[in-house]
Amino acid sequence: MPQVATGGNPKGAQTSSPGRRWRPARAWHPKVPGVPGATSGRRGVKIASGIPWIMPALVLCVGLVYYCIGYTGLISTWSWDGISPNPEHVGAGNYSAIVHDPLFWGAVWHTLIFFAVTFTIQTFLGLLFAVLLHSKVKLAGIYKVVIFTPVVLAPAIMAPVFREMFSPTGQLNSVLHAIGLGVLEQPWIGQTSTALPAIMAITIWEFTGFTFVLYYAALSQIDNAIIEAARLDGAGNLRVITRIVWPNVAGTTFALATLGLIGALKTFDIPWLVTSAGPDYATNFLGTYIYQQIIQLDHVGYGAALSVILLVIAVIFGVVLQLWRNRRADH
Amino acid sequence: MRHHVRLRRLRPLALLASACIALPMAAQVNAGASVKAGAAHARRASSASGTINWWGWTPTDSTLANDEIAQFHKVYPHITVKFKLITIANWVTALRPALVSGAGPDIFEMQPGAYVTEFNSFATNMAPVMKQALGANWQSKIAPSGVSGLTYNGKLTAASVGSVYAGMLWINQQLFAKYKLTPPKTLSQWVSDCKVFTSHGEGCFVQGNATEGFLQDTLQSITNSVQPGLWTEASKGTAKWSSPGIVKALTVWKQLFSNGVMQAGSLGYQQYPDANNAFLTGKYAMIMMGTWYMQNVTTAGMTSAMQAAGVTNPKPFTALPIAFPNVGGHPSALYGDADYGLAIYNRSKNIAAAEDFVKWLATSSEGQQYVANQLDDLPSLRSIDPNFGAIQLVNRAAQQGAIQNLIKSVGSVTQPRESLLSADVQNAILTAAQSVASGSASPQAAADTLQKAAVAAGEKFK
Repeated sequence: MPQVATGGNPKGAQTSSPGRRWRPARAWHPKVPGVPGATSGRRGVKIASGIPWIMPALVLCVGLVYYCIGYTGLISTWSWDGISPNPEHVGAGNYSAIVHDPLFWGAVWHTLIFFAVTFTIQTFLGLLFAVLLHSKVKLAGIYKVVIFTPVVLAPAIMAPVFREMFSPTGQLNSVLHAIGLGVLEQPWIGQTSTALPAIMAITIWEFTGFTFVLYYAALSQIDNAIIEAARLDGAGNLRVITRIVWPNVAGTTFALATLGLIGALKTFDIPWLVTSAGPDYATNFLGTYIYQQIIQLDHVGYGAALSVILLVIAVIFGVVLQLWRNRRADH
Repeated sequence: MRHHVRLRRLRPLALLASACIALPMAAQVNAGASVKAGAAHARRASSASGTINWWGWTPTDSTLANDEIAQFHKVYPHITVKFKLITIANWVTALRPALVSGAGPDIFEMQPGAYVTEFNSFATNMAPVMKQALGANWQSKIAPSGVSGLTYNGKLTAASVGSVYAGMLWINQQLFAKYKLTPPKTLSQWVSDCKVFTSHGEGCFVQGNATEGFLQDTLQSITNSVQPGLWTEASKGTAKWSSPGIVKALTVWKQLFSNGVMQAGSLGYQQYPDANNAFLTGKYAMIMMGTWYMQNVTTAGMTSAMQAAGVTNPKPFTALPIAFPNVGGHPSALYGDADYGLAIYNRSKNIAAAEDFVKWLATSSEGQQYVANQLDDLPSLRSIDPNFGAIQLVNRAAQQGAIQNLIKSVGSVTQPRESLLSADVQNAILTAAQSVASGSASPQAAADTLQKAAVAAGEKFK
């Protein structure tokens, strides 16, 4: 691997060697003894300089979001239909029932599979598109629009489209039949074996454009001199991508993994609108299960307990990912 | 980067990938028809002076609701009624927060069973209104199911507008005539008919099995053929859901899938709009629907329904009701409930106007005759029958007698459709049926799970 010098970045803030994480320059803050991050106003009076600025958001978050989380935690200890004025207190009963609920574990499993598959394929396709469109491609602007358009289309609008497309008499089977692959025709969303892959395919279609945009931006930050040096050393396309591009977009990949995981945990609209979380719960996720329990079956307490568990899972995964990232950065 | 990475060999991949991404967008054109027809499940409302809002899932064709409102407006010109159609699938989602927050509609529809259980506390007691409109013996003047099914702890939560019954199939007579087939009377004939249809590239029987409700109708009909009355007994708790008759019914249910009666992918179909559209566009010869499908024997009703299903220049075909095939050894009896009643929101600011509309539609001869002539619901007032002289049928010679016989036969119905089932039990029935159909559970295992779920849901068994 060639020795590479900095200089490509006008801000001069980028690391010079491939594989190293880019760090922004630290902002300067005046020091106030004993109060990290605080500045002094009049002599002897310490004022937290950022407090007035963050107050509106703080009030909103604490007053709304965290209050709701706390209230959901309270409801999760009730057996309640959401309407009755006298909910029954059941302690940890809902949590105990969830542990023994096979549908809950099925939803967790679907979430993990969903994340692993969609993240992997979206990452591959997004990076591929970004690399391709960084080369000289005619009508690149049109390709970018085509790739990104699914991101801005509302799932509620696209759901009927996919229900039509994946139906036994839909366009996908028609195309397969027309090209002589009729043996592959399936009732894609009407059987347990293919419903989840169909949901994953829709998600990949919808969000690959987002992955592409982030990678495209990340590629623009890579110093051309690194690529040039690699070329001079005889590196081919594959080597450039795997040894230079991929390490330099690691931060973007991490961000996408975090967003992808959160998205997987929140998955609701596509499986609910396309398959109603079925058939036979084959596309049931935590989000659809919570909705079904609270809205359709009036098990508000049970649904609240599921929501709390979802929150805990999200926090755990978030912390794990952050620790993994920090450890990787330290090395 | 742009000038240094040479990836021209990979450019065809970009074209191919872009085409894959564009494919679903191209499919949007066809899906539009499904969306339009999705608005296929609801009804309307009214008031003394002022404006009142009526939310409902039926009539599924908004034109019918607006016609009713127009008729009412001729009698009560100072009351404006605004009807909002909400699909049955989204009914609870939409109504629940509205009622709880105090922003609910003046009038909302109520159905026997889970809805009465859930929303009764938001409804006024309609018994005094009925007494005022029909006299002290008002209960004797309306269909019994319109009283018992809509009463909760002694309170009449809604005034019944009409009743619906299920347990029959509807056929496309043209398709049967085209292939010289007779409607199936047994399971073996059902299977053989389907073989003929599919061998000619036609669909045979279509049903939406993705959600509960219509799937339940088929299971109840099968059970009624296997052991008459068992379904109702299990619903009441006098028999178990795991009893041999239910297991046998689930076995027959499985056979509908394995013998090619049920269309491929039915577990992913919604009855509305998917199955309904497939039948109305002539792609299938049979569908499981109830008496509300009578509206499709009228020229106006069938034309409107076909247009909603995506047919550009609809040519109405002859739809006929037939008895559910004898799949278990006995003729399968019909069952039914009050289709819907109109409930008045107890926080409405215009209860007087709302009561005027409810009385007009649910208890007046004029309003009930209008309901009857639409052939959507069977009118709640016993004294009213459809006036076939004023109704234009698609094929009077074939349809009028069949519809009159159907209306006559529901007079002896004793089994309820959904009024005895809680949302939990209905969900458990859906799970059992889907698990058997998909092969993830045997009929016996599914029935055992269903029984446990019913017990867990609070159903008491003797």
